[in-house]
Amino acid sequence: MPSLLFLAAFFIAPLFVILEMSFQEGRLPVEGAGVFQNYQRLFADTFYLGVIAETVGLSVVVTLVSVLMGYPVAYFMVRHASGRSYDLIVFLLIAPLLTSIIMRTFGWQVLLARRGLINEALMMLNLIERPLGLLNSPLAIVVGLVHVLVPFMVLSIASVLQGIDRRLEESARILGAGKLQTFLRVTFPLSIDGVGTGAILVFMLANGSFVTLLLLGGGTLQTLPLLIYQQFNTTRDFPFAATMSNALLVLAVCCLYAQLRLIRRRGV
Amino acid sequence: MIRLNRRHFLMGAAAGGVFALPPARRLAAQTETITVTSYGGVWEEAIRGIFVADFTARTGGKAEVQIGGPPQWMSQIEANLADPPIDVLVNTIDLALVAGRTGLVEKIDPSKLSNLADIPQRFVDVVEGWGVVFDYGSAGIAYHRERLRNPPTSIKGMVEGALRGDFVLSLPGISYAPTPQMLIWSFADALGGSVNNVDPAFEALKALQDKRAVIFYGGATEFLNHLEAGEAEIGIYWDGRTWAHYSTGAEWIGYINPDEGGVMNPVVVQKVVNSDDSAWEYINSMLAPAPQLAFAEKVQYGVTNTKVAYPDWLKDRITPWEATRWPPFEEIGAKIPAWVDRWNREIGA
Repeated sequence: MPSLLFLAAFFIAPLFVILEMSFQEGRLPVEGAGVFQNYQRLFADTFYLGVIAETVGLSVVVTLVSVLMGYPVAYFMVRHASGRSYDLIVFLLIAPLLTSIIMRTFGWQVLLARRGLINEALMMLNLIERPLGLLNSPLAIVVGLVHVLVPFMVLSIASVLQGIDRRLEESARILGAGKLQTFLRVTFPLSIDGVGTGAILVFMLANGSFVTLLLLGGGTLQTLPLLIYQQFNTTRDFPFAATMSNALLVLAVCCLYAQLRLIRRRGV
Repeated sequence: MIRLNRRHFLMGAAAGGVFALPPARRLAAQTETITVTSYGGVWEEAIRGIFVADFTARTGGKAEVQIGGPPQWMSQIEANLADPPIDVLVNTIDLALVAGRTGLVEKIDPSKLSNLADIPQRFVDVVEGWGVVFDYGSAGIAYHRERLRNPPTSIKGMVEGALRGDFVLSLPGISYAPTPQMLIWSFADALGGSVNNVDPAFEALKALQDKRAVIFYGGATEFLNHLEAGEAEIGIYWDGRTWAHYSTGAEWIGYINPDEGGVMNPVVVQKVVNSDDSAWEYINSMLAPAPQLAFAEKVQYGVTNTKVAYPDWLKDRITPWEATRWPPFEEIGAKIPAWVDRWNREIGA
């Protein structure tokens, strides 16, 4: 009961406050749109629809890259690493989470800068003549976000991989399946639950992130969290910020639902 | 005969002390702890070590310092106007005007601020009496002295140089709160526009972006990172922050007040409505000459009390407020949502 009260007071009630706030007049009102003016501004304008698309697109790309990078690491950890090296990999995965996200993002700024380590090294090796514009680009954002979020993916997949009965894979091999076929038809389907959990975590966190975009993006990508921060920090247009927050919440719930459906349809 | 021993003496002294004390409410008022606000970093050190210390030494009162930024503090006050969690608000000029208009702060009461007599009237008028400016910065040209031997001395020259490909600019992005004044209005004003015509500013920014001659920073320290990491060579930045960085040993950084004039950025102190009366005394400490001088020496920004005499090492670093360009803050405040929307569409968030 106390936990329900806590949830109602600090989670449910604020959602209603934000919902109510979104129906108030914003600082750039749409004439004749009534209480839905902020929603009209958000959903009837191709610019803001583009922002919503970029928000989802970025989260999808970061999630896919995290799966591609995280799965091999998780697989190696569970299937090939000995006790000590397993612990070392877990430590290496968790250690960055203990430092501030801002510090890690500043690290990427130093590495990706025009005179940063990567450009300097490439120029020293005569591979490029002029520094590449690595920073302030969508690539920098994806790199920064994947670096922050991939541990969640690895740990989610590894925990499921550990629970898979190795005899099922051995049976497949005995029945003539090759290594790749065994992986694709036995191991991967059985680990899809971990991939799904990791994907949901990474997607949600990427969906709401803005520090990395602010520090590494340089305005090349515009997402809802960035614009919400702007409405709070620069324009103080709280009703429009509330509207975008609601849109982001609904978007996240819809994506979560779609991912869960996708995982269940695969029979896991 | 009653013999007076040590116990009797102590009891009598204690009883006498109790009767000699002021009424309980008065005592409570004297020891009331007020909550004041400060930005982080060197600001926090200065607020605690100078203004709070002066307030405590003069009145015996205590002040807790809340670290953060004006939008957050104003939201906290708005949430509980009857019993606000903050007594003294440090604010940016545009939000200070909003705070006044929305009833979050009280008008300045000259009878309660003895040091107000030494503050030029313009620093009260600019905020329409909803507070007083105690400190200010000037936004001018900061650059990497080792990588740029002949920096431009005007905003116009700086834009033209970047468009020629001479250097890359680091400019404040739209997520940085002072950008409407320090960049959009300033560029418009320097390039032939005005507060009602910011097209020259947006056209210049778009051209710079198309030439890949500009990057944007979202926070004050990011500009320094841009220069240090070689992402940019020059940009628009604060005089005080530049000199404070120089003083830490970064002698590669230089600052120029542009020919058009640096942009005035006043920092306002306001008494929150329904806050404790001792807040006036704290504001008085913030306006007093000795604490203001100590503050200026610490943060290297200009202060507003006319009795303050800067030492030689600091004098050349402080931009006289009379030499700065004063943006039309009130008019800009009304245009910010439209400018931000335009920026998002044309430049990017």
